[in-house]
Amino acid sequence: MIGYLVRRLAQAVLLLFGAVTIVFLVLRVIPGDPAALILGSQATAQELAAKRDEMGLSDPLLAQYARHLGEIVRLDFGDSWRLGGDAFAAVLDRLPATITLAGFALLFTLALGFPLGVYAARHKGKLADRAVSYFSLTGQALPAFWVGIMLVLIFSRTLNILPATADGSALALVLPAFTLALPFLGWLARLVRNGTLEELGRDYVRTARSKGLSERVVFNIHVLRNTLTPVITVLGLILGNFIADAVIIEQVFAWPGIGSLMIESIQNRDYAVAEAAIILIAVFYIGLNLVVDLLYFALDPRVTLETV
Amino acid sequence: MTRYNRRSFLKISGIGLAGTYLAACSVGGGDETAAQTALRAAFSQPINDLDPHGPSSVDEASLLAGRLIYDTLIRRNGEELEPAVAQSWEQPDDNTWVFTLRGDVKFHDGTPLTAADVKASLERVKAANTAQSALWATVSSVEASDDTTLTITTERPLGTMLVNLSLMFILPAATMNTEGFFAKPVGSGPFKVESFTPADELALTSVEHWSGKPKLKEVSLPYLPETSSQITALRTGDLDILWPVPPDQLRELEGVEGITLETVPSYVYYFNWFNCGKAPFDDPRVRRAMWQAVDVAGIVKNLFGDGAEVMTSPIPSTAFGHAEQQPYAHDPEAAKRALTEAGLGDGFRTSLMWFSDTGPLADGLAQAMISDWAKIGVTVEAQNVEKAEWLRRLNEKEFDMDLQTNTVTTGDADFTLGRLYDSAADRMGYRNPALDDILRQAHEDSDQARRGDLYAQACKIIWEDAVGIFPAALISTYGLRSTVRNFQPAPSNQPDLRGVTVG
Repeated sequence: MIGYLVRRLAQAVLLLFGAVTIVFLVLRVIPGDPAALILGSQATAQELAAKRDEMGLSDPLLAQYARHLGEIVRLDFGDSWRLGGDAFAAVLDRLPATITLAGFALLFTLALGFPLGVYAARHKGKLADRAVSYFSLTGQALPAFWVGIMLVLIFSRTLNILPATADGSALALVLPAFTLALPFLGWLARLVRNGTLEELGRDYVRTARSKGLSERVVFNIHVLRNTLTPVITVLGLILGNFIADAVIIEQVFAWPGIGSLMIESIQNRDYAVAEAAIILIAVFYIGLNLVVDLLYFALDPRVTLETV
Repeated sequence: MTRYNRRSFLKISGIGLAGTYLAACSVGGGDETAAQTALRAAFSQPINDLDPHGPSSVDEASLLAGRLIYDTLIRRNGEELEPAVAQSWEQPDDNTWVFTLRGDVKFHDGTPLTAADVKASLERVKAANTAQSALWATVSSVEASDDTTLTITTERPLGTMLVNLSLMFILPAATMNTEGFFAKPVGSGPFKVESFTPADELALTSVEHWSGKPKLKEVSLPYLPETSSQITALRTGDLDILWPVPPDQLRELEGVEGITLETVPSYVYYFNWFNCGKAPFDDPRVRRAMWQAVDVAGIVKNLFGDGAEVMTSPIPSTAFGHAEQQPYAHDPEAAKRALTEAGLGDGFRTSLMWFSDTGPLADGLAQAMISDWAKIGVTVEAQNVEKAEWLRRLNEKEFDMDLQTNTVTTGDADFTLGRLYDSAADRMGYRNPALDDILRQAHEDSDQARRGDLYAQACKIIWEDAVGIFPAALISTYGLRSTVRNFQPAPSNQPDLRGVTVG
């Protein structure tokens, strides 16, 4: 067990190193640099060169990379040129907004996806089942940015019952959280439906039925509990995806989280903030995956290292 | 009586339902009495950084905040430059300026503002290597001989000394370089910082100032990224002032009860540069033909309406140094003839680069010009690029034509003409030693009348040589709740809020 844990942790560190390297390279390869953005369109070539020297941008890429790695090990991403303070602090400032959004999206996913899946399973093959199936496929197929824009058009522009952007009210969460949840909601519904049907065919269900338990008790007490295990384990993955997908959703809804901060930083070549934001998202994603794998052990005693 | 529509009802019940968890995230409205002397004002761009000497030193949003928080030696009041912290000044010779400071200026922490603070601030901005540092390149020394006497010496005469000083914000020398100072900076202006979240909200309260205490108690400057939310917030009264209202949004506010609109020609304008160092735009006949081909007046009227005016000079009419020129009449036939004379009778292919956020309706302006050029046989490839890429190509002169806005930040032609059209700066490949000479003289002369004449000559050369097309100067529209009084719209987009009252 300990050996497994160490191996997984080492993999996580390796993954992070890969992420740091790729992010560093991609940000430096895209054209344009912060010196030009700082000095504006009236800067002379000499001023630009001096600024690049000052910011260490004229050093060889390898030297910049080595310096960057050294800083990251100390969790120091440097200062944001645009926001004037520590880059990591700027990201942490925006984190609560993203967590709130992801949390509400998770709530939507569970509150709608789980009952839909159960309902579909209980009405297998009927119209309701097919409707849920189409709905979940459509939800997964539609691009999130398009769904977001359509929802704004319908509920904000036409009906005027929900705010289109973060205006400080709780209602502003509804559209972005729903847009974020939609593809996973359908995914969860199908997962629950198939899991439930699989469980319904098992021996213990036949036993329970044969000892005279009502269908309701069989379903609610025995079957549902067993379908919960896979659901809980995918929740971690869903949450990780929410934080990563928030990049698009936050842009559509002008939501002040780390996703929109990341886009602004990339557009402004604010390397420090862009790196801090992307690395934080990567840490979340890798960390949640790790937690999910470990949860398998905790939730299902039948899973052992041999079966992994 | 308060009326609730469905949306506000849902909003209220939504807040109730979400309960305590969201209480921390939602925006508080403040209590009733404070509301009478509190102002919520939104500028269209985010305030990213309160360091007035840092990378944002010439951003309109940072300058706007700086004007409220800090003091300057000289202040701009309309067309005039008037004393602020500097009470008086003299010029013993062309390269020396001696300023006498007021003795009664205090920073928000109670320490007095002295000449040593001004010296430290000026040295800091000069060394910062940012867009504002360039204004101070010829300053060779700054001396504070006593608390109220400051001497600035320059290598060459600096005619724009006073106007440059109106941008130079004074920080307390003792604390300005301490870690975290700009999270809640200390200045000596009429308002002090209560809290600041970059690109989100700046909250200020008024203080006793040497010019008197502002009427307002609290000013909050939130940033709302979406134009539609800005308009809605003003309409619902969540905002008291919003500016500049984009030209295509004006009709959303015109005639709305409780809202008044005030306009002022701004320092912001569009130009469409030709790369004059590259064929075919190295031929002024071709450049002039391109200008004649464009129906400038029609485009500005149809696209911007009351949001812009047709330019009559390479700088907006609000800037010092503006001199009216003969407009280029819209004449596609004459343009075609001129192209034939230049050996391009069959037209040619070229490109236009811009980035969408350079100014309001930039995409529409670019498309309108491109379709006018098509009518004289010139095929223009639209290159709508990202801002950072646009800047890179601009700096490397990798363009045929460049459409952008520009801001005469100091309100003086030197800031724009002097820095952009000099051969040594080489921004768009135009080289004219006679123009260089005029611009240098105007830069060094401190006699405003002579400078005005020199810039009039410069305007004429740039206009007649068609270094670029100068289509539109933007008009800033300020949307105000009717409860806001004594508000003066400012061409710089940096209104003075000292005299404003609400209620």
